[in-house]
Amino acid sequence: MHQATIDKTAKQKVVAICGNPNCGKTTIFNYITGLNQQVGNYPGVTVEKISGKFSHPSLPNQSIQLIDIPGTYSLSAFTPDEFIAASVLFGNFTKMDKPDVIIAIIDATNLERSLYFLLQVQQTGIPVVVGLNMSDLAAKKKIKIDRKKLSELLGGMPVVDLIGNRGIGVDELKEEAVHLLNSDLRTVDKYYSHETENAVEELIQLNPHEDRSRAHLLRIIFDAGGPAEEQFLQIEGEAGEKLLAEIRKKIIKEHSYLTHAETSVLTKKSEEIFNQVITKPDVADKTNTEKVDRYLLHPVLGPIILFGLMYFVFQSIFSWAEPFMGIIEQFFGMIASSVEGMMAEGPLRSLLTDGVIGGVGGVLVFIPQIVILFFFIAILEDSGYMPRAAFLVDRMFRWCGLSGKSFIPMLSSFACAIPGIMATRTIEDKKLRFITIMVAPLMTCSARLPVYAIMIAAFVPYKSYFGIANLQGLTLTLLYLLGIVVAVIVSFILKKTIFKTERGTFLMEMPSYKVPTAKSVLIRVYNRVKHFVVRAGTVIMAITIIIWALSYYPHQDGEALTAERTEEINQTIALSEMNIDKEFNSLTTAFSEAQIAEVSRLASAFTAVTSQEQLSSIADSMISLYPAYNEVISLYKSHEFTKLEASQALNNLPNEVAGTQIRSSYLGKAGKTIEPFFEPLGWDWKITVSVLASFPAREVIIAVLGTIYNLGSDIDEESTSLIDQMRQATWEDGEKAGMKVFSIPVAISIMVFFALCCQCGATLVTIKQETKHWGYPIGVFVYMTTLAYLGSFAAYQILTSVGL
Amino acid sequence: MTFLDKMQPGQSGKVVGFTDDNRVSRRLLELGVIPGRAIQYIRNAPLNDPMEIQVGHCCLSLRHAEASLITIELDE
Ligand SMILES: Nc1nc2c(ncn2[C@@H]2O[C@H](COP(=O)(O)OP(=O)(O)OP(=O)(O)O)[C@@H](O)[C@H]2O)c(=O)[nH]1
Ligand SMILES: [Mg+2]
Repeated sequence: MHQATIDKTAKQKVVAICGNPNCGKTTIFNYITGLNQQVGNYPGVTVEKISGKFSHPSLPNQSIQLIDIPGTYSLSAFTPDEFIAASVLFGNFTKMDKPDVIIAIIDATNLERSLYFLLQVQQTGIPVVVGLNMSDLAAKKKIKIDRKKLSELLGGMPVVDLIGNRGIGVDELKEEAVHLLNSDLRTVDKYYSHETENAVEELIQLNPHEDRSRAHLLRIIFDAGGPAEEQFLQIEGEAGEKLLAEIRKKIIKEHSYLTHAETSVLTKKSEEIFNQVITKPDVADKTNTEKVDRYLLHPVLGPIILFGLMYFVFQSIFSWAEPFMGIIEQFFGMIASSVEGMMAEGPLRSLLTDGVIGGVGGVLVFIPQIVILFFFIAILEDSGYMPRAAFLVDRMFRWCGLSGKSFIPMLSSFACAIPGIMATRTIEDKKLRFITIMVAPLMTCSARLPVYAIMIAAFVPYKSYFGIANLQGLTLTLLYLLGIVVAVIVSFILKKTIFKTERGTFLMEMPSYKVPTAKSVLIRVYNRVKHFVVRAGTVIMAITIIIWALSYYPHQDGEALTAERTEEINQTIALSEMNIDKEFNSLTTAFSEAQIAEVSRLASAFTAVTSQEQLSSIADSMISLYPAYNEVISLYKSHEFTKLEASQALNNLPNEVAGTQIRSSYLGKAGKTIEPFFEPLGWDWKITVSVLASFPAREVIIAVLGTIYNLGSDIDEESTSLIDQMRQATWEDGEKAGMKVFSIPVAISIMVFFALCCQCGATLVTIKQETKHWGYPIGVFVYMTTLAYLGSFAAYQILTSVGL
Repeated sequence: MTFLDKMQPGQSGKVVGFTDDNRVSRRLLELGVIPGRAIQYIRNAPLNDPMEIQVGHCCLSLRHAEASLITIELDE
């Protein structure tokens, strides 16, 4: 016992924030800890335990741990996020002690409902501070709450008024929490029915060593089939099972339904408290939310607005990003040329200019798109529109085995599949949850955006229609739709085969609209841009350097190659000269002196020729004028042809050498080997290796294409953008030699591949975490990769066959 | 007395109780759909499902299948 008290003072104090979903817990958590965790105006933003810390003058040299948990409507946990919340409060979350103080945040506009939860929390026996948040909104709705009375009725719990998003009252809340840390005010009211109290007592007697709070015991009693019961049975075994059955039987005898013993007590008690502390207007004013919802949730207008909104976002990504991209491109161009000027040629310079600047820099060019996308995502999340979107599509999603509940995680996946997959924790139906997890990676995440952006910018013309629509934005919208449509089809198949879902539920709170705060929008954009830049500087940089090394080594000496080729070309010319001398004599033996002079005069006309076409047309017209000289003219023609080709080859020699170097590198050789497998998709070996290299992270394709094209062309030439290099690229050999590599079908084939493929290691790891089974990530990887190959094969073949 | 899913959008009434005791009915209780409280049927989503209701200051969406659990006393 003595030991325990010493430990208690030595260990870090823990304060946990709990409350209903969307009541502002994370907002307050951020305010106290100074962290930037995500907030949003819909239930289920936070789905994991988040910790931070703060300090207080009364506890010098010691920081207090603050924990934010997912919002719940009660402590009875049936979804993974609810389970996390309850475990933290019960003190059986892995590697975590029971909190020393609980901050219960209450949405003042929803006091009665919050009281139900608060009464359950009270049963944990942990001291509680109540924060009445959203008091600005309550005031607007003319709701008045008697703080003193409320505190009194709750057994002396301190009650603080808060406006979380402006930080008002937060200091007082902190004071009260710290005060409770030292004073140990516990308020457990025993107002449950006689049978219930007996049951609690019996469970304690069963195993007095197990430190379970009353709140926890109540969950074991009332949540038949819930996780608390499951855990209890694991520990207590048969004796526990028997006792629990007995206890429940007694309660049911008294209350007809097991749960009534709790719900009736809690609803009655919360109503009692509510009526004593509240004054509110009899008739509520029509709120702005109601007025706005008349349009946004209109059966016809609603879906149109939803689609229009999404379309507007994708349009803006193209029309707004353009100028900013130019600036970033110029910036990297400047750096590249100054590095080139300062350093001598060699591996290091190549690594810096081709790998780092040409590769990773190329990815950073897309920061403006990320900013715009997340600006809109933040507004959608913080305004309260997300649950409305779910409401609008629930019915349409249902036939394919999804529900509106799946729509929020899927919308979150537009940002990134990882939080999207984690957001499925709020879905109670396990099968529905797993289907959603398996299709969420098909949603167009922000890592795909740069890939789409570059392909679209390079190969889809910027055509504007009626000033509102442009072809580029339209293409992007279609790609987003492609992800959704395939997700719907896949989940339909999953529903019919592996996960035969029953009809799920769609119980969801629709929060009032709020004007998104600048702070939360900025935080969202800033966090994401930071993430993007860090990714570019770490994962993408690492892969790019590997790719650079593989395509630089084994390094062939450029000068030697050049000398060798020059020699070769000069020899071809010399050979042709020799040939013409010999042939000319044999062809002209029968010619008169005058004829020879005439032929020579004609031949001299060829010397001014600059292109193969010009040469042919001059030769053709001469032959038609002087049919007798046909053979001689043809001879001159072929000689001039060789000379022309040679001089062009000499001009192009630097590029050719660079091309030879990269083709003979490890990467080049490997790429050529696998090229045939991807040729049906329209890809050359460079695209193929770039796509394969981007399996760990999608943006890598841009970095790798940048590196390969930088290496594969003359470095000293005026550095052109990746888009230009892609446009100019030609096939090196095979039947398509000399033809342009990229065409609209190729660009679309690449984009379709990226739309459907699961090129994200982190997503697969998250799926494993959430499903606790490697089978799911493997399944996702296999089906998505197969779909991607087939999809881009079909796209390429169909588009080329219609002549695009 | 009627069931919530049998009401018309725009109608209002009082919650009487639930026809069953299960997770859905308990979640409804926790969300504030408590016997005795006023309830208003606001609208249907496109294709008529789910529906939006209001209890107290709180708007909820739920499917008709879930609404059929709730018995209602219609207002005059
Ligand atoms: N008007 C007003 N809005 C607030 C207040 N406190 C928080 N908000 C807003 O309420 C919304 C929800 O805030 P969060 O902090 O994400 O809520 P939460 O409780 O963490 O939600 P979950 O994690 O989903 O359980 C955000 O849009 C906040 O900006 C407040 O006092 N007044
Ligand atoms: Mg939160």
